[in-house]
Amino acid sequence: MSGRQVAPLLGLVAEFDDDAPLLRTLRDARAAGWRGLDAFGPHPLPEAAPLLGVRATPVGIVAASVGVAAAAAQYGVQYWLGVQDYPLNVGGRPPHAWPVFLPAAYIVGVLWAAAAALVGMLLLNRLPRLHHPIFNARGFGRASEDRWFLFLPAADAGFDPVAAELLLRAHGPLRVTELRG
Amino acid sequence: MSLSTAPLARAALRRHGGTSYRLAVAAAAFGVVVLAWAVAVLLVRGIGVWGNNQPFVWGFDLIAYAWWIGVANAASLFAAVLVLRRHGLRTAVNRFAEAAALAAVLVASLYPVLHLGRPLLAHWVFPLPMTTGVWPYFGSTLVWDFWGIVSHLVVTSLFWFIGLIPDLATLRDRAAREGRLGVARAYGLFALGWRGSLAHWHRHQAAHRLVAALVLPLLLSAQTVVALEFVATPVPAWHQPRLPLQVLLTGLPAGLGVVLALAAVLRGGLGIERHIDDADMDLLARLLAAAGAGCAALYAYDALSGLVLGDAATRAAYAARLSHPAWWGGLALGALLPQLLWWRRLRLSARSVVPIGLLASAGVWLDRWSLVVDGLDRAGAAYRPSLNEWALLGGGLALFCLCLLLFARHVPVVSMFEIRHEENEREREEAEA
Repeated sequence: MSGRQVAPLLGLVAEFDDDAPLLRTLRDARAAGWRGLDAFGPHPLPEAAPLLGVRATPVGIVAASVGVAAAAAQYGVQYWLGVQDYPLNVGGRPPHAWPVFLPAAYIVGVLWAAAAALVGMLLLNRLPRLHHPIFNARGFGRASEDRWFLFLPAADAGFDPVAAELLLRAHGPLRVTELRG
Repeated sequence: MSLSTAPLARAALRRHGGTSYRLAVAAAAFGVVVLAWAVAVLLVRGIGVWGNNQPFVWGFDLIAYAWWIGVANAASLFAAVLVLRRHGLRTAVNRFAEAAALAAVLVASLYPVLHLGRPLLAHWVFPLPMTTGVWPYFGSTLVWDFWGIVSHLVVTSLFWFIGLIPDLATLRDRAAREGRLGVARAYGLFALGWRGSLAHWHRHQAAHRLVAALVLPLLLSAQTVVALEFVATPVPAWHQPRLPLQVLLTGLPAGLGVVLALAAVLRGGLGIERHIDDADMDLLARLLAAAGAGCAALYAYDALSGLVLGDAATRAAYAARLSHPAWWGGLALGALLPQLLWWRRLRLSARSVVPIGLLASAGVWLDRWSLVVDGLDRAGAAYRPSLNEWALLGGGLALFCLCLLLFARHVPVVSMFEIRHEENEREREEAEA
């Protein structure tokens, strides 16, 4: 950034060296009515998910429904091609001998369910993404190693910088910085 | 919180692999060149360059295919079970087991094309709209195998990649801190912009466990479909209802043996005994011993049906297999040798687990030889593998080794985020106690 022009304030970021103070601050922020918060850390923290209002169920629903649809489509394709479009007489077997259509339907169902689990997870997380303002936060590179970060958005309706900073400083963060971008 | 995963990240980010690493890569790359030569000769001159004949319509090709699938299966099984054990410790070592599975399934996936007889017509098993208007016959086990191997390859890759995303982000950030922007960009490309949001972690964990769970049904289908290809023929040694279960279970020592040997080599070679610790080696070695015991039980059932229960053709086929050394080699190396690992002292020494693991894997290869070649045995006929077949076998091994060497050099061989998570949970439990 150059000159006197200052980028708009996006919010405040607190950095912690452990997950316990982060969780306490996150609980306080939820109790104080903050919305649109986000927390970052180097490993999963199951306790944080309800505080952030995230459920993993949609990933499973996406994977299961895509898997079932793919299995049905595979069965349907085999039926159409093998029974309707090009029936082959192999040793007098009936064209629609349904058990022989099951292995491929099952395998292809699993294949697409797995693909949907990855793609669904990425889409729900709005990834992949080239850049995100949080990467501008000071020292954020260590969020993937040993530091924890909590972000309070300035876009929140009741954003008050002083109250926000007091909240973030309550449980001993390493530092609190402004995030601009 | 400790920086305990730093050695893993440093191992992946080091600038030079060292002389022994370079020599190993050069040797493996030479083997891959031999593989490419063997494949080129095969494609140009056709399957006549192999030692196959009547009655030995199958040989090294199908042995290698079934064996590599077995290696991939057992390695995937081990990795998936570790990921699914949610609250237990020691999930982090699934990473290199997955890598071994991926490399094995990659090598295996060459074979269905190469052993088709007419490799240039491999696309005929795809349901592609062609001008001939002919569709594949979907009742054929060969067509199931096409779906099976494609799914196995894709799902194993996805399982490996999903677990890798956060670790790639760690490498991206570390490389950026070291000022190596090119390296940071390369890792960042595959990290997909991962920023460690706890909301993202939650969905990531769900997806990772879900795909781990999806690997399991696929393992059942991969080996059974290979076995059903045998069962669908009228060859007495193959036309047996026990074959799917047998191929599935006797495949386990192949992959567990390779993963065990790999674990011993990695922990010594990279100096990460803290991350692949004695408890991991202990668990793996006992699993291999148990898989060997399962094999021994199947050999016993095989003997029961081949000597007592079966009809005359089955008994004759069984006697023919017994008259060749491969059957005994499979029994000794695949089933009996791993039983040594019930001794704790042998389990925990790299000097014993590496040879036992690799020999157990070789024993499964002999078991496949016994099934494929000796199962087709007829008086007066002989099968001698040609140079091209040996080159394909050795080249396949080299390709497997090259994949693993590149893996061990460029990504963390043990899942870093799972180690952090485990340490965190352990610290919490200690604090509560």
